[in-house]
Parts: sequence; structure tokens; C-alpha cells
Amino acid sequence: MEDTQRIVKDFILAQFLPGEDPAALEPTTPLVTSAILDSLATMRLVSFLEERFGIQVEAHEASVDNLNTLDLITALVRSKR
Amino acid sequence: MDFTFTSEQRQLRDDVSRFAREVLNEGLVERDRTQSFRRDLWVECAKMGLCGLPVPEEYGGTGLDPLTSAIALEALGHGCRDGGLTFSICAHLLSCVVPIWKHGSEEQKRKYLPGLCDGTLIGVHAMTEPGSGSDAFNLSTRAVPDGDGFRINGTKTFISNGPVADVVIVFTMTDKAKGFHGGTTPFIVEKGTPGFHTPKALEKMGLRTSPLGELVFEDVWVPASAAVGGVGGGAAMFTQAMDWERTLLFAAHVGTIERLLETAVEYARTRQQFSQPIGKFQAVSHKIADLKVQLEAARLLTYRAASRLETSRSVSLDAAMAKLFVSETLVKTALDVLQIHGGYGYMTDFEVERAVRDALGSTLYSGTNEMQRNIIARWSGL
Repeated sequence: MEDTQRIVKDFILAQFLPGEDPAALEPTTPLVTSAILDSLATMRLVSFLEERFGIQVEAHEASVDNLNTLDLITALVRSKR
Repeated sequence: MDFTFTSEQRQLRDDVSRFAREVLNEGLVERDRTQSFRRDLWVECAKMGLCGLPVPEEYGGTGLDPLTSAIALEALGHGCRDGGLTFSICAHLLSCVVPIWKHGSEEQKRKYLPGLCDGTLIGVHAMTEPGSGSDAFNLSTRAVPDGDGFRINGTKTFISNGPVADVVIVFTMTDKAKGFHGGTTPFIVEKGTPGFHTPKALEKMGLRTSPLGELVFEDVWVPASAAVGGVGGGAAMFTQAMDWERTLLFAAHVGTIERLLETAVEYARTRQQFSQPIGKFQAVSHKIADLKVQLEAARLLTYRAASRLETSRSVSLDAAMAKLFVSETLVKTALDVLQIHGGYGYMTDFEVERAVRDALGSTLYSGTNEMQRNIIARWSGL
């Protein structure tokens, strides 16, 4: 689980928060409601999750309930593996 | 990447192109002038399998893979000079049929796909509103829970096939706080549902044989089972529908580009000025050479995107690049072909001026080209 979270964190830092202090992105940092993930970024993240972890994220699952924090994203990935 | 056609793909391309040339091109100047949509031609296209190309045969479709579907639509765009009809078929197929096939419940697939594939039903995708275009998810149309279902209120505009709609996928806001991230839900609404109206057909510059209009939803009640892809699944479903549309609709445009180029070559070989064919002048031949290069690049981008439609969600980047390049190539080709035809190209009966009018919308629909550049930039790390 920790490895999954690290992979997701590295992706978000590299793609959406270039130059940001990695320590500032915590497991509970809001991603959607703080506008780190806008619509395009969210679809990019979902694509990454599907390809990197070999999972299928259903249409209704690409929501703030599952993607708002690293903890939630990690739980979503774990529930599908 | 090797896109060499199989013998079956070659046969399909030839069959569709011949069908389109022989059946779909009658009386086009007048149809364009009067904005006439021909339902009989729609049914003929359905008989050719064009209304359900990638849909599995068990649901009444043709069962082709996305690349072969692209080849078929390219042949349609090549053989059919009626850009509006081609556009209507693609809008129906890619933004209504495919989403129901990909995200619909088994019950929805069994109920709607056979009729959508055999030409009995015309499908519509209703997203755009008077106040939301590129900001697509800033929806005013609301769906609120009511008993065992939802009640929908709102107005959609610029809806392709809207005036002739039988089955509509209407995008609604079900949770404003969540918005794009789980707050939008598409519902299927059928023609004749109380409160659903198609009051206004819109007149437009090009693609005039493709009906376009407003859809109004006044206290329209639908059962919860009418949601497609689950409540809150609108964003992902819309994104996938756009990936298909930006690839396969624009495959049809690749066929159109090739036909326009052939028209220009034929004209340049036969039109004489200064005692020789105008194609002997480099001002003309170089223009045609450039168009040929752009045609082949457009085709490769489209085939690559099509070949990835079933294998990766990251086809969004490929689809955006294909849409962007093909649409700008289509517009440039139409304008250059008109220039090569000179004054005759400006005359309605030569059908070149209509090709220009038909082409111009391609940089606007399926997401403006500015939005495609935004997508490409984001996927490039910006």
C-alpha cells in the first residue's frame, strides 16, 4: 500500500506540482477540492492509475469521493487489485 | 506501426465508398439549400452496417474493431459528398451508440442498441448548453431525485440530430458541489417523454443536411435505471465518448480530404490556361503536393489513435492530436481546392464552396481546437 501511495505521489508531484516540496503533499492533502486536480488532470490521473496498476476505474468511480486525497486514491487502487 | 490493410478491410473500404457514391449523393445542392435531412438515406447507411460499426453483433452491430471502423468511416467520407449526413451518422454512432455500448446497463444495451444500429432509432448526445460550451461541465441542467427516479430541467443547444432525436443521452448536474468530479450524470430520455421538447431547429453555415437544434427538458421524469454509467459517472463517460468522436468522426474527414484532393488533381489536369493544364504550374502543383503530405500525416495520426481506442484510456492525447490536425488539414484543403478551382470553385454547382462551408465547423465541434491544444499541452507536462 505504501508503495502504491509513493508511486501515485511521485506522479502527482511530477505532473501537477512541479517544484513543490514533496513533504507538502501529505496523504490527506485535498487534491480535488483544492484544485490541484482539475478536469484534465483528473482524467490524466485516472489514465495513469489504470495503466500503471492494471485496473479499470468505472465512470462513476472517477469522483471526489475516491480521488480527493492520496489515501483515497490508494484505497481505490487497493480495492481493485 | 504497420497499418497495411487486410483483404477484408480493403473490401470493406471499397464497398462502403462505392455504396456512398452510388446511393448518397443525389440532389445534394438542393438538399443543402433547403437543409433537408433524408431519413431514407439514414436507413440505407444502417443497412450497410454504418450505424453500429464497432458494436458487437449480439446487440445488432457490425462488430468491427475501432481501426476497421475508422477505415469504414473514412470510406464513407470519401464516397459521400453529403458532409451533413456523414456528420449525423458519426454523431449518432460515436456520442450515443458507443457510450450506451460502453457504459450502459445490460438492459439499456438490449433495449436501445438494436434499434440504434438498424436505423430505426436516431441517437443524440446532449451536452452543450446556452451558457456552457468549452466549459462543458458548467451545467445548468439539473436532475434531482424524485421518487424512484430523477426529474430533469434544463435546455441544451447546438445538439446534432436534435430535431430528429429518438433517443437522447442528456448530461445533467446531480451534485453541484462535486461538479466534474462525480457530480454529473447522463440519463437516457426517449422521444415522447412528457416534458421533453425539440422546439427549435437551427440554421447554420455548413453541414446543412445534418439537423441541429435545441432540446428542452421541463420537469422530465426518468427512472433511476435511465442513468448511464451510474449516478455521477458523466465526466468519465463524456471523456471516452470524445476520444471516440475525435478519432472516428475525423477518420471520416480524412476520407473527405482525400476526395477533395482527387477533385483538385482532376481539375488541375484538365483546366487549361496559357495553353497548358494549370497543374503544370508549380503554384498549383506544389499546393497539391503539400496537401498530399498533410493527408497522409492526418491518416496516420487517425489510424494510430483508432488502433489505441480499445487498449488505453490515454488515447485522449492521440485523439486530441488527430482531431486538431485533421480538422485544420480539412479546412486548409477545402480552401486550397477552392483556390485551385478559381472562380468556378466559388460557384455552388461545383460543390467546392459547400465543402468549404462544411469543413469550417470541424475546428469547433468535438471540442474546439483551442481545447485540443490545452489537452495536448497538459499531457506534455505543462
